[in-house]
This record gives sequence, C-alpha cells and structure tokens, in this order.
Amino acid sequence: MDEDCDYLFKAVLIGDSAVGKSNLLYRFAKDEFFLDSKPTIGVEFAYRSIKVGDKIIKAQIWDTAGQERFRAITSSYYRGALGALLVYDITRKSTFESLKKWLKELREFGGPEMVVVLVGNKSDLLHSREVNLEDGRSLATLEQVSFMETSAKENLNVEEAFLHMIHRIYETTSQKSLETKTTTSDQSTDLKTLQGNREIIYIDEVSATKQPSSC
Amino acid sequence: MGKDQMEIKDICDSLDIRLILQSSRTWDTYRKIHFFQSSKGLHIFHLVRLCGGSKNSGKKLGQDGKEGNHLRSPWSRRKRKCILSFQQWQAFFTPEGKLRDSGIKLLKKVRSGVGYKSCDFNYDLTSSKEERDVIKTQKREEYENLRRICRQLHKHNDDSNLNRTRETSNGDDGSSTDCMYSLSSEDVVSARESLSSEERFLPFNEDSKWTDGTKVNGYTKSKQTTDSNMASDSESMDSNSSEVLELSQAFNFSEHEEDNTNGIHSKEDLSPYNEEVQSKPRISEDFVMWRRIILLDAIRANEEWIAYSVIQATVSVAKARRSAEIVGLKDYDHLDPCRIFHASRLVAILEAYALYDPEIGYCQGMSDLLSPIISVIREDHMAFWCFVGFMKKARHNFRLDEVGIRRQLNIVSKIIKYKDSHLYRHLEKLQAEDCFFVYRMVLVLFRRELTFEQTLCLWEVIWADQAAIRSGIGKSAWSKIRQRAPPTEDLLLYAIAASILQRRKKIIAKYSSMDEILRECNAMAGHLDVWKLLDTAHDLVMTLHDKVETSL
Repeated sequence: MDEDCDYLFKAVLIGDSAVGKSNLLYRFAKDEFFLDSKPTIGVEFAYRSIKVGDKIIKAQIWDTAGQERFRAITSSYYRGALGALLVYDITRKSTFESLKKWLKELREFGGPEMVVVLVGNKSDLLHSREVNLEDGRSLATLEQVSFMETSAKENLNVEEAFLHMIHRIYETTSQKSLETKTTTSDQSTDLKTLQGNREIIYIDEVSATKQPSSC
Repeated sequence: MGKDQMEIKDICDSLDIRLILQSSRTWDTYRKIHFFQSSKGLHIFHLVRLCGGSKNSGKKLGQDGKEGNHLRSPWSRRKRKCILSFQQWQAFFTPEGKLRDSGIKLLKKVRSGVGYKSCDFNYDLTSSKEERDVIKTQKREEYENLRRICRQLHKHNDDSNLNRTRETSNGDDGSSTDCMYSLSSEDVVSARESLSSEERFLPFNEDSKWTDGTKVNGYTKSKQTTDSNMASDSESMDSNSSEVLELSQAFNFSEHEEDNTNGIHSKEDLSPYNEEVQSKPRISEDFVMWRRIILLDAIRANEEWIAYSVIQATVSVAKARRSAEIVGLKDYDHLDPCRIFHASRLVAILEAYALYDPEIGYCQGMSDLLSPIISVIREDHMAFWCFVGFMKKARHNFRLDEVGIRRQLNIVSKIIKYKDSHLYRHLEKLQAEDCFFVYRMVLVLFRRELTFEQTLCLWEVIWADQAAIRSGIGKSAWSKIRQRAPPTEDLLLYAIAASILQRRKKIIAKYSSMDEILRECNAMAGHLDVWKLLDTAHDLVMTLHDKVETSL
C-alpha cells in the first residue's frame, strides 16, 4: 500500500444517504459516474495518488454509508482520518439540515486538526435546487470550513474539492511534521516518507471501485 | 423440444403458463422462470431449478443415504445436478396438500441444493392447503391494513410539513408527533379513496388468474382478485366503516392493546416486537425519515432480476407510472417501466414493514434483501409476509444497538479462530480479528457479492437449514445424517468464513492492514463460486459446529 508515495493521507466522505458520496469518489478515483449506484453498505474506499510540489501523495478516501444506523460501526473509520468531505445534496434541503448533526459527529470522532470541506453536490440539477449557494457558503463561513458546489455527474469541481482538501491536509501535516522533526527524528505516525518517486500524477484505481454496483 | 421439454410444457399448460422460448436461453433457465411464475398447485413452494446439468449424473430421490461412509457435502456437485420433476415435487405432498413426513424429505432435498423458492416457510410445514389459504387471506388483509396506515401517514406528514413551513420558517428539528394525535375524519376519508385506487391496482392482476382464481373460494370478502377494473370500490367502502375506528386507533397508538374488536389485526399483530419499542409516538417522526430513504434506495435497486422475471419485466408504462404515483415515487423518469414498477413495489412493502416492525423500521440493505423476493413473488402481500419471515432472523443485524451484527461478526471470528489459528493470529496482529471486513456480507447475505441466481441458491439452502431447525428436524430425523452436516442457524456465517479462509494464503502473505482485507472482501463481488463456498462451509459446519455453538 505504501509503494511509490511520499505520504499517505486518509480522508472520509460523509453526509446523508444518496447525496452522491460514492459517485464523487468514483469520479475522483476513476473518472466514472453511475446514475444508479447502490447504497453503500458499511464502508468502502479508493485510492488516488497526486503530486503536490515534488511529493507524491496517496489519498485513501473512505466512503461510508449515509444512514445514521450505520454510524456507530462506521465511526471507527474516522480513526486516523486527516480530512473529510462533508456532502449534501443541493436539491434536498433535508440533507443540508442534517449538516449540523454531521459536524457534531466530526468534532466528536475526528481529530481537532481535521480538514473539512463542505460540498454541495448535484449542482447540475439547477432546476430543482432547494439550497442556495449562499446558504452553503454562509454555513461554511460560520463553521470555518471550506466550501464548494460540485457535480459528480457533470464532473464540475470534483477534482477541485478533493485536491483542495488534500493540499490543505498537506499544509497542516507538513507543518506538523516539521514541528515533530525538531523533537524526534521519526516521522509522525500518519506520515510515511519513502524514496522520492518522480512520476507525475498516477491514478491507482482499487478494487473497491471496480465494481460499479458495489457502492 | 426433447422429452424433458415436452414434460415441462405439459406442466406449464396445465398451469396456464405461457411458454415463451427464446433461442438465447438455455432450457434450464426456462424451467426456472416458469416455475417462478407458476403458482397454481405449486403455490406453497415455487419450484426453482437453480443449476443446470445432465440428468445422467443425477441421483434419484431417496438415494441420499446410500453413498457409503464417505463423508460428502450435501451440496456436492453430483447431487446438485439432479432436477426435481413435477411428479417428484408432487410426491412431497399428500392429496390435501400437506407435506409428507412434515417436510423432512423436502427439506433434505432442498438442502442438497435442489432449489426452490422457500418463501413460504412462513407456514407450518404440517399445514394443509386449506389451512394455508385461510392464513393467506388473513395475512393479506393485515398487509392491506398496514398499507392503509402508510398512506395515512404520508398524507398526514405532507400536511403537517405544509403547516410547519407556513407557521415557522425554520423549525428544522421540531417534532411533528403531536399532530399524530388529532386525525380528522377528512383524512380518513381521503385515505380510503386512495386506498381504493390502490386496490384497483394490484400487481399483475390480469396475469395472475391462476394464482388468485383458484383461491377465491373461501375468500368471500374478496376485495380484489382477478379483475383489474374498479369493481371493488363500493365493496371496500362498505367494509371500511369499522376500519375508521381501527385506523384512528392505530394512529393514536393507544395503549389499549387488547382492544381487538374487529379481528383484522390486533396491536400485537401490527408490531410483533412491541416489547422492544420504546416510545411509540416517535414512530411518525422516524417513519418520515425511513420513507425518505426507502424512496431513494428503491430507485437505485439492482436490475439483475429482470432476466428472471419475464412478466414483471414487461410491465406496461402506464401501469408502472400508476404504481409509482400510488406510492409517491420520485425522480424515476430515467428508469425503464419495469424498474419503476419494481421500485414502487419495494417502497410499498418496505414502508409496510417499517410500520410493522418499528424497532427496526427501515435500514439500508433491506431493499437488497427484498428485491429478489419480489422478483419471484408477484403478489405484494405474499412478498411482504415472506419478507417478514426472512427478517425474523435478519432484523437483528439492522438493530440500532448493533448487538445482532456484532454477534454475527463474532461467530465468523470464532469459526476462523478454530479453523485456522495461523490466519487468526495474523488478523489479531492487524487488529482485524473482529472481522468487520465481512460486515456487508453479513448484512445483506452475500447479495452484493453473488449474482441474482447464486444469491437465491444460497439463500434457499440457508432457509432450508433454518426451517429444518424450526421444525425440530435437526434434533430427530436429521441426526441420522448428522455426520454429513447438521442444519445450522448460521450457515451464512460459515459460508462467509469459508470465503475468507479460501483467501488465507493471500491474506497472510500479502496483507498488512485491515484496509487491505476489506478491499479484498469488497472485490469478491463476481468472483465467488457459490457451490465451492457451500462445500467449504459444510466442512466447517461438520468440524466446528458444536465447538462454536458451545463457545458462544
């Protein structure tokens, strides 16, 4: 798993059912989209490696089930997560209203320095929009998280949302690792420095996303 | 057509089944499809032939015990190739439609992998056809009652939502439960109206002559059966006067549980898990959420079943849209009619279930479990009760407190521990001995990993085991063949453990984190051989069953 990369970052996708979490991941990891992707049961994950500066970062993105019922069992997947994409569906207000609950959970299970990006998905469905861009933006400001509207279907902003999160994780952790380096010679547990690999962005699709219907 | 085919054609003819042959299909697929569709005379068990094979290698019924001392899996290849003929099938029943031997022979057969649709294990195996028909009528009414309440709840919640938005602009968390207690007569009337429209629409009315036609005798109060027109309206209005009372009782969730005046369903029937329900008024609030998720999941349902259910696959656009309107399906324009129809049925039954079992309500994954059932059973009320039977065990996996699922994962862990200490130590090292990586397999019973056909195969064998235990066969008659494989409640878990054990080498040699094992498990989809799995599971049951049972 730790081949050919300088860093391995873990991040999670959370949000209500059917807001498009799995499809955001498909789009980011494989550039695919499935209109009728099945509800995720338990957890799944996918990787993608990207280049930041001269470092190769491998992002391991966990996709979780949206229904609250699965929370207790999936919450262990916050362990070690450095970032989270918190997703709602701009065509369903209820998914926006649940964000409070999700943010609360993030604070409870996620680390204090977790990078959170608020994502309003399905921005292609303008005609059935129920949550205004402004509402998303002001909530993000209030909660001091980043914000973006995306469309996994039309491939709008998906890459940007993920990359934004990964870059910010990189910023915070590389700062942190610099700090830790001053005290110990070891890397922090979440980081892994390997032999530099000069390949530019390569995409590693994993089995978790190979089955279009498995999500 | 060969002799075999002619035989099947005769059977089909006698059952009013139109035989459609397409060259692209193998004969065995046809046999299955048509047994799926046939009900008259076979309505207790829908025969399914699940795997093809040459007759030569088939073992005849009753030769089971004669294989010498050699321990073989009940699912070993040779046996599973034998096909039950219609005569053999009939031979399981007495002229009254009772299963001979209390079903022992049949269950043995099914365990050996001769598939059939075991949905109606709900019935007592010793019942006769007449007794089953009475139960069926009763159950149908119970189901319709549940649907009625569902519709009432929709309407009610729609109204209260409207009111809420009118009154307060942002009352996101406010509970609307209070409104539950005041139900106007207007609501009830409109519920009845929508009910009669739903009654007019019954899945496959026009196609289901052979199912219902035969059973209408003794069902004098029949509100609907063979006719797809609206003849039932006036009748249902008549019979509804008592239901107004009943309905409002149900809505008030009154504490008078013994108040079972009209006998259609008692409070106990409505929610068999009463003792576990903490606060009833919360039902409404939760129901709204469940409905929301059900609607979303229904349109995302798998479409694999289409090839196996010709009639449902060819549903008309009008019918599909009508069914969608009745249950309030949304965002389905991109779907084919058959998928719209399928989704609508999923919604109707899942909602009814959520109401029936409010402790569980709806949880994602349940639509995966229901979808194959409704693909096989065309009547909603039958499918509902089959699902209820199915969920009796499966419901524990969906419990909010996760006790059920943890117990199951623990058993898988035990099986691996006793079978393969090396692998188990490796899992411990990776902190993966809780076997969380098989979570999905446990929750939806391999539905995501196996094809539609394989899934039914596996489920039937699992159900037959459970039915065997329920009817006490495991203790008595089955003990004779105990050395083969005792029936177990947890066959699924042995099969899951088998799927992990089959990959032990890879797991031990290559994987150094729980993530990688999870990935391996998720990647099993489409790469499992259900028979191999059952063979390995059988070995595990044989050697570990007692040990695992006692260690729990």
